[in-house]
Amino acid sequence: MSNVVLEVKDFSFKYRQTKRKALKKVSFQVEEGSFLCIIGANGSGKSTLCNALVGLIPHYFVGKMAGEIRVNGINVAESSIANLSSEIGLVFQNPFNQLSYTAGTVAEELAYGLGNRGESREKMVEKVKYVAELMRIDHIIHKNPLELSGGQVQRVAFGSTFIMEPKILVLDECTTQLDPLGSEEIFDIVKNLNSKGITVIMVDHDMERVARCADRIMVLDQGEVVAIDEPKKIFGNPDIVNHHIDVPDYVKITQALREKGYTSHEIEVTEEPTVELVKEALQA
Amino acid sequence: MAKVSNTFVPKHTVVENINPMTKILAVFSLGLGTLIFPNFWLGLFVILGLFVVAGLAKLLKEFVKIMFGFGIPITVMLIFIQGCYSPKNRTYIADFGFAKLGLEGSLYALKVVSTLLVFLGTFYIMNKTTYTGKLVAALTNSGLPPKAGYLVLASLNVVPQMQRRMSIIQEAQSARGVETGGGMLARVKAYIPLLGPVVMSSLTDAQERGMTLETRGFGITGVKQTTYVEVEKSGLDKILNMLLILFFVIVLVVTVLMKTNII
Repeated sequence: MSNVVLEVKDFSFKYRQTKRKALKKVSFQVEEGSFLCIIGANGSGKSTLCNALVGLIPHYFVGKMAGEIRVNGINVAESSIANLSSEIGLVFQNPFNQLSYTAGTVAEELAYGLGNRGESREKMVEKVKYVAELMRIDHIIHKNPLELSGGQVQRVAFGSTFIMEPKILVLDECTTQLDPLGSEEIFDIVKNLNSKGITVIMVDHDMERVARCADRIMVLDQGEVVAIDEPKKIFGNPDIVNHHIDVPDYVKITQALREKGYTSHEIEVTEEPTVELVKEALQA
Repeated sequence: MAKVSNTFVPKHTVVENINPMTKILAVFSLGLGTLIFPNFWLGLFVILGLFVVAGLAKLLKEFVKIMFGFGIPITVMLIFIQGCYSPKNRTYIADFGFAKLGLEGSLYALKVVSTLLVFLGTFYIMNKTTYTGKLVAALTNSGLPPKAGYLVLASLNVVPQMQRRMSIIQEAQSARGVETGGGMLARVKAYIPLLGPVVMSSLTDAQERGMTLETRGFGITGVKQTTYVEVEKSGLDKILNMLLILFFVIVLVVTVLMKTNII
């Protein structure tokens, strides 16, 4: 059995200014090197959960909290956010929130977190170069971050978290400002990182991508975990639409083939097996 | 995209390459030296020297503008006030009818002006030839707490951020039909409703910034912060540091000797 790197136990949270709980008795575990996607309608508690995982709840957001979150055994509520940053990193939904606003260039922005960790300049230069090339921002490395477009800032924001080499990467809809191609580029990088052993927790609304990337999917509805399972089981469950979740088109295609009796094969959630299924159906 | 205002523009000059700590030492050594010296002559020589430094920094045109733009009106004003109404006046050098211009007051005015101009000039050259990140890195390396360093940098970045925010809100309002251009009155009318959202969002930003900084390791305990910006101390810096300290010591000694009437 793999090592559990994140454990959430009966975690509940209510913001001070709201009447309803944002999260209700949420419990789950994440194993090292796995890829968990969190899906749910707007207001279901996804971003609140992301904030709780990195310690922004309870350190920044005031409210009523119950239960506990442990990252690599560290109780998030008892550790400082800064000290947790080498264990878990969050890429914010709004990339402009990720900037330190102290850097005059993109290179300095990327290196900011490394400086806080006291890394040597030689290491910083090396890592900045690597991350800038990876994120395809090496051509804007000397530009002021405040002069960049939304998409470019999103790449800088992602790079500035990734450069810290956290063991767990939390992505809260981190490609909203990117075009589809740029968005796919970022996800290829995320997948690559995951294949190298980094644990990824991702919030996304693109169900095709969720189905393609995730080992497991967690469905949140009004602050409650309504399901947590592998993609085929989540999207194969007909009740999932009751939680305001759209299923990938591939699921709809395989469901249609099954209903019309062209196949008895189980539900497929990604492109390639669906194409094979359609081919088989056409041949039959 | 908002334009970013930045006082530092790289010109790759010898002055630019000087360590920011040396420049800070220059501001204090030259400024305080001029301040304690009993007359305006030292200040005058230092100001002349600053024009040479501004020339080396390729800033002469702007430097002349700022020194004369500030220097002339303040000199006229102080000479008028101190020259005509200082109780120290014993010797009169001109009679305007409504008031007499005293020598002692005028010399005191020149001393004040020269001191102000030395502080202004040295600070201006430092500001225009030093990249803020490098300044903070140098201060942090010299033992300034990282939180204080952040305060300096963040304060200097507040203006471009607010400009950016303002242009976003302005665009949003003009897209909804609010007139944001035209004559002076129309512009003023357009800016008033912008102030509320800009100030409020700046306050919200401050909280978000705190969150961001911590998630990026700001405040990790037991670690000495490092910086990406390289700050070197060259041989020239060492010589300049020695000269600046020597300058201040000589000025101090001469001042004491002058005040005790030994010279």
